[in-house]
Amino acid sequence: MDALVFALLNGVIYGLLLFMVSAGLTLIFGMMGVLNFAHASFYMLGAYFAYALQGLVGFAPAVVLATVLAGAVGAGVERFFLRRVHRHGHAHELLLTFGLSFIVAETIKLLFGNQPVDYRIPPALDVAAFVVGSQQYPAYRLLMGGVALAMFAVLYLLLTRTRVGIIVRSAIYKPRMVEALGHNVQLVFMGVFAVGAALAGLAGAIAGAFYTTSPNMALEIGVMVFVVVVVGGLGSLGGAMLASLLIGVMTSFAVGVDRSLADLFAVVGARDWAEGVGGLLTLKLSSLAATLPFALMLLVLLVRPSGLMGSKN
Amino acid sequence: MIHLRQSIVPMALFAAAAAQAAPVKIGLLETLSGPQASTGQTYRSGVRYAVEKMNSAGGWNGQPVQLVEFDNQGGPAGASDKLKAAIADGVQIVVQGSSSAIGGQITDDVRKYNLRNPGHEIVYINVGAEALELTGERCNFHHFRLTANAQMRTKVLVQGMKQVKALGTKVYSINQNYSWGQDMERAIVDNAQAGGYQVVEKTLHDVNKIQDFAPYIAKISASGAETVITGNWSNDLLLLMKAAKAGGLKAHFGTVYLDQPGNITNAGDLALGHFVAHTFNAEAGGSDGERFVADFTAKTGHAPVFVEPQAVYGLEMVAEALRHTKPANGQLDVNAFARAMETTRVKTPMGEFSMRAADHQLMMPLVVSMVSKDAKYKADGTDMGFKPVKVFSAEEASVPVQASCKMQRP
Amino acid sequence: MAHMRTSIPLLLGGVAVLVALPLLLSAGLLNASVQMLIAALFASAYSLLSGRAGMLSFGHAAYFGVGAFATVHAMNALNGTGLLPTPLLPLAGAGAGLAFGVVAGWFATQRTGTAFAMITLAIAELLHALAPQLRGWFGGESGISTMRMPAWGLNFGSTTQVYYLTLAWVLAALALLYFHTLTPPGRLTLALRENEHRLRFLGYDVHGLGVSAFAISGLFSGLAGALQVVSNESANYVVFDAGVSASVVLNSYIGGVTAFLGPALGAALMTFFGYAVSDATQAWLLYQGVIFVLVMMFMPDGLVGLLAVIGRLVRTLGIRAAPLMAGWLLAGLLLVAGGVFLVELVQRLCSQDYRAMARVGEAWPAVRLLGREWLPAAAGTWATVLLPLAAGGGLLAMVHGAQRRWLTEGAK
Repeated sequence: MDALVFALLNGVIYGLLLFMVSAGLTLIFGMMGVLNFAHASFYMLGAYFAYALQGLVGFAPAVVLATVLAGAVGAGVERFFLRRVHRHGHAHELLLTFGLSFIVAETIKLLFGNQPVDYRIPPALDVAAFVVGSQQYPAYRLLMGGVALAMFAVLYLLLTRTRVGIIVRSAIYKPRMVEALGHNVQLVFMGVFAVGAALAGLAGAIAGAFYTTSPNMALEIGVMVFVVVVVGGLGSLGGAMLASLLIGVMTSFAVGVDRSLADLFAVVGARDWAEGVGGLLTLKLSSLAATLPFALMLLVLLVRPSGLMGSKN
Repeated sequence: MIHLRQSIVPMALFAAAAAQAAPVKIGLLETLSGPQASTGQTYRSGVRYAVEKMNSAGGWNGQPVQLVEFDNQGGPAGASDKLKAAIADGVQIVVQGSSSAIGGQITDDVRKYNLRNPGHEIVYINVGAEALELTGERCNFHHFRLTANAQMRTKVLVQGMKQVKALGTKVYSINQNYSWGQDMERAIVDNAQAGGYQVVEKTLHDVNKIQDFAPYIAKISASGAETVITGNWSNDLLLLMKAAKAGGLKAHFGTVYLDQPGNITNAGDLALGHFVAHTFNAEAGGSDGERFVADFTAKTGHAPVFVEPQAVYGLEMVAEALRHTKPANGQLDVNAFARAMETTRVKTPMGEFSMRAADHQLMMPLVVSMVSKDAKYKADGTDMGFKPVKVFSAEEASVPVQASCKMQRP
Repeated sequence: MAHMRTSIPLLLGGVAVLVALPLLLSAGLLNASVQMLIAALFASAYSLLSGRAGMLSFGHAAYFGVGAFATVHAMNALNGTGLLPTPLLPLAGAGAGLAFGVVAGWFATQRTGTAFAMITLAIAELLHALAPQLRGWFGGESGISTMRMPAWGLNFGSTTQVYYLTLAWVLAALALLYFHTLTPPGRLTLALRENEHRLRFLGYDVHGLGVSAFAISGLFSGLAGALQVVSNESANYVVFDAGVSASVVLNSYIGGVTAFLGPALGAALMTFFGYAVSDATQAWLLYQGVIFVLVMMFMPDGLVGLLAVIGRLVRTLGIRAAPLMAGWLLAGLLLVAGGVFLVELVQRLCSQDYRAMARVGEAWPAVRLLGREWLPAAAGTWATVLLPLAAGGGLLAMVHGAQRRWLTEGAK
């Protein structure tokens, strides 16, 4: 029972972390059709900014500043890079963001070195929240989850209840009409991109202290974020939340399952044959925990390509 | 000291200078860029130091030894390309350490090249790739492993931890799901009887893909293990330990890669009390060790860490073998060099190195250390360091030759 | 197809140079040329799908890798028995690439646009994640090793023989690919890109066409993978890595997908760049990223587009194009020199070793670069950075302005 509770809790918190990073990406995609390969780079930038500033201003102000800086970088990227290549088509935008992700990763390596850096949770926050059975549950994870939920709530309210939100949502569907009505759509695009980048930066600043902050951070989380966005539905905030939680919980539970397809065959008495065949049939689910999200993505793409909660268009 | 690689002397010059002595060229074929660059660069700094030492002692055949560096661009295909470039450059000794996958590629490429070009052989000096198969199925007369392997490291780790009563009777094995991790898992099971423990559970996980180790910590906690033995490196080790601390897991960790730069800084106090089986600990090296650390720091600007000492002393073996190899027609006869390597012995601050001719595995001392604030040499700029628990001599650390090694000698 | 018209002699000249290459290059560079040829074939196969049929695939490494592993297993199984002699081995890779391309394509082409791209990415990532666990098929971490067996009187031991084998296959494959573009199904792939709905209304089986384009692309990608295995005599699961998929996309677009040989050109250049620059500097990935970004922003049609622009300039301005070209080139060289110097300087200043030494001493010690010592505090060091950048920037602005003026004058 304890194990189940822990697995659920761990899965949910990890899923919320994925949501924090993918929320921005799904908004950017929904709005501008740009699949931003550099999104995970904003995550990494947020962590490094916070690390660099932590010594000067303390943890909480560093996190806030890192978020703002990441947003500024995002605005700059949109204004000076993406806008130029927008008219050449999706392939060029994608490749541009890919090149940018290279540049960001290599520049960070240049300035901070290849090793993981010493960016840690401040001792004040490094406490246990509660104890279940023999295991402690760290308070910082709950903080991460809390920030993610707050982010979701703020974004949702912004998009549905404020004037800015209405403009943003209508710009997703009918940008030319919105422009004709007198709104500065280019500014809206830049704003959305900046907010998306800032959210990823916030996620990085918070998670980087808990996990590791190294130049490979972007690569590590980058692919998973894509899986989340695709499974949830490109452009859907609720979909991103659902998909993140699903993937987080699935990965967490899979670790505890030491069974393979051969065990399934055992039900019909064909276990020995399955083990003789080997290969795919004897792979344990627990060792495939990080591979399952891709299988999920493939399944979703084939059965429901617009994602779990995406709109069909 | 920061310097660019030596310039390449064209082959034509060699042909013209056949009557004169030809310098021996050592080619470093490392991962110098990309995600795994940090380890490759660490090997490079150790090798550079060692080659400079060789040259200040007179080089070989009256000429300085030339070090040529190649970036294998992070993968076996790039390594294969650069090996061909190195051979075209006149390199006769290839050095690599950061990856077993690349090590496997190089040893096979070297074997095939030597088969096709008798009389122009090259040799692969492996200073870091620890996959068992390199001295097992893929063992090769022109490959020398100058580092340990999973069996050796686990053997000493278990004995070392048992000695200070940190091992307990219930051990959990968690490793990465590829050849190194699988080698470690087998070694942990093999040593159960000698260590007096029971392996309560074995887990293999995806390499470098897992961010959240909390589910694994939950499993470890549920199994009641007192000790966790793992061969994880880099992020996989760091995140595992961080998750262990966050979950309040009270088990001792026995590791192989805890001394990788960046681990101690990032882990902070949670690393205290954990163990590592590694190849060099200056504190256990006495005055020889101190002298080495001082000289290395003076020449490179930092104290030797992680794999740098083993690269240095591995190349010390190479230097000693070179000293016993007479030039043939003014050039290095690689087969003669290899035969000299088989009988070379070198004294190091940890003990004596010697080469086992049957599988070309180095017989080397290993040391088990514990992270502590009492250590003489601090790591990563923190207030913690590695305090030696026990030094195992080469005989104590050795494991038998694998039956799968059928070496063909020229 | 613009420059195909005029360049039959150019083409023959190019082939002649390629055939003569072993006499001109050293063994190391010859091996690099083999890799360049393979990359060129892979990029051409890729652009059949993405450039002509308009289907952007992000997981093309899967077909390259499947071809590679099929070939390595064929080499080990057939091992010189004569059933499939060494020169014909790439057929195994091509066959595997075709088969897997049909299967994957059948699924992937049911969707279009981003969903298609994501499906191809998912397939490649799944293979990449599963491969190290299926040791029998993919050899685990160290891959599967094999050896070329002698055949047809040649022992295939030297790089020269491997080069000619690769060259023969690549030329044949490129010819076949070009021939495909002239056939009706080949022309229909263009229609797939332009207007799929209309094609469907005209009665064509759009899904079948998509699958056939995918399968042919997979066939030639598998062939490229097979050639790499024949050259390297081993296959490793890292061939399924997302980086390989990404690099083929980048190579194609840097070369330019509007011309048939564009991607091949881009792939050859970028492979050579990686090979040559990776040994010269540690920051070469940064330079590569900068090249990607600059090409995407300023040369969206790739190198082929650049050549077309130059051609147009020469035709419009005649002899006056020469100083413009020289100006662009000089400005470019100055900017590159200044930029590279800055990056290398920063890289050395920020490295661990330097920072350790700087902490010890009082003043910041000198940095070794290009064989000389540069003091970071000295004005001369920074002048060497800023002067080329400023001069290059100024020259660039001048040449850009002059070009615009002269073009509008010429148009009158």
